[in-house]
Amino acid sequence: MIALTVVLGVVVALVTVLVAGLLRSHADILKALHDLGAGVGDPVGDTTASSTPGPSAGPQSVPLTMGPALAADRDSTSAPTLAGVTPTGDALAVAPARGGALTLLAFLSTGCASCAGFWESFRRPEQLDLPVGTRLVVVTKGPEREIPGEVAALAAPGLSVLMSSDAWTDYEVPGSPFFVLVDGTSGRRVGEGVANQFRQVAELVRRAEVDAAAFTLGTRPGRDVGIDGPARESANDRELLDAGIRPGDPSLYPTSLDDLYGPPDARMPAAPHPMRRAG
Amino acid sequence: MPTLFAHGIEAGLPSGFEGRIFKRQGSGVEVANAVAQFSTFALPDDVGDFGGGAVTSMGNDDIFAVLFEYGPDSVGTRLFAHQGLPRTLSADDFKPYVLRRGLTGQSGTQWFFTESGRPFTLYAVLGSHARRSILVPRINRLLAGLTVEPAAVGTPAGAPWN
Repeated sequence: MIALTVVLGVVVALVTVLVAGLLRSHADILKALHDLGAGVGDPVGDTTASSTPGPSAGPQSVPLTMGPALAADRDSTSAPTLAGVTPTGDALAVAPARGGALTLLAFLSTGCASCAGFWESFRRPEQLDLPVGTRLVVVTKGPEREIPGEVAALAAPGLSVLMSSDAWTDYEVPGSPFFVLVDGTSGRRVGEGVANQFRQVAELVRRAEVDAAAFTLGTRPGRDVGIDGPARESANDRELLDAGIRPGDPSLYPTSLDDLYGPPDARMPAAPHPMRRAG
Repeated sequence: MPTLFAHGIEAGLPSGFEGRIFKRQGSGVEVANAVAQFSTFALPDDVGDFGGGAVTSMGNDDIFAVLFEYGPDSVGTRLFAHQGLPRTLSADDFKPYVLRRGLTGQSGTQWFFTESGRPFTLYAVLGSHARRSILVPRINRLLAGLTVEPAAVGTPAGAPWN
């Protein structure tokens, strides 16, 4: 009986020590989380402590990143140079922000089922229907993540394939397939996203080409974009003088809508042009 | 700075440059050696070793440069007697008549040398000879970032120059 009591006492003592250790460990974890700003309880209650200078001055804000960046956090305009290797072991660097042409970067992998259709499409470049001069570059992850032989087997002859995990990081690619269109004239990304079929991507490229053409309308030679600058100002002056409007004319300083459009009863379809009326 | 490395050639690319380091498929007794091409414009997929198919699309502010390796039999010949890759070119080194394809406004330069026991030629083209004082420093920044490793032991002999 005495021996049983002694054994029981020893067991109780051991359990007590164990529970105390667990509680201490739990307390240390909670304290560490609290210092990182992720503790339980009301952090507002510690504002007085946070005002105290020193290394233990309240919760610290720690950036926590999990998974791909959110849309609002992405740098969706930069177009850094991509550098890596080809499936055959050569080295390749592409600077899409240079050269003036459109560059379509296709981020693909060998394992994703939805990428298979794109690999197959790239075997028929004449059917891609990309605007003339558009450069297509397929970007896979580097040799440490992809098997070069498998990439080479999928890549069509003559297709530019770059293997670089850094490029996926630089362009913040959330997954494959993913497409990025870079305008070499502005040096910026002008489009990016996912697609199920390549014709959707080609349509994106065509729209970007049209937009770029419209944007550069004023700089294209031979286009009649009308007069501009000092010549435009001189033409305006001539129009005003012909209408009898000279410097200081009251019509140049409207104070109400009536000054612009005339009395309400006169704002009919047949109402004279305000400039002519003023003259 | 993006860095390329292949076939014993390493290149740190200055801003705005792209490039490739490759070996073509050998045919018959011909053994292909390393070719490194660099440009400030989009290099076409199918471009000649010395820029055929690429230099015609150069703008005034563009640069094209190639480092072309010859076979080890060329080591020790007079043509490759100069030791070391030229690192600092001057504007006077570029001549409108030193072009593999004469294109109005462009100029080029070519050097033969041996670097790390490997025979090379450096050929560079400026998009505008008139802007050489601006473009040549950019080429020099490219050359400063080039490193050539010694040839691996047991490298098969390639076709000698000439």
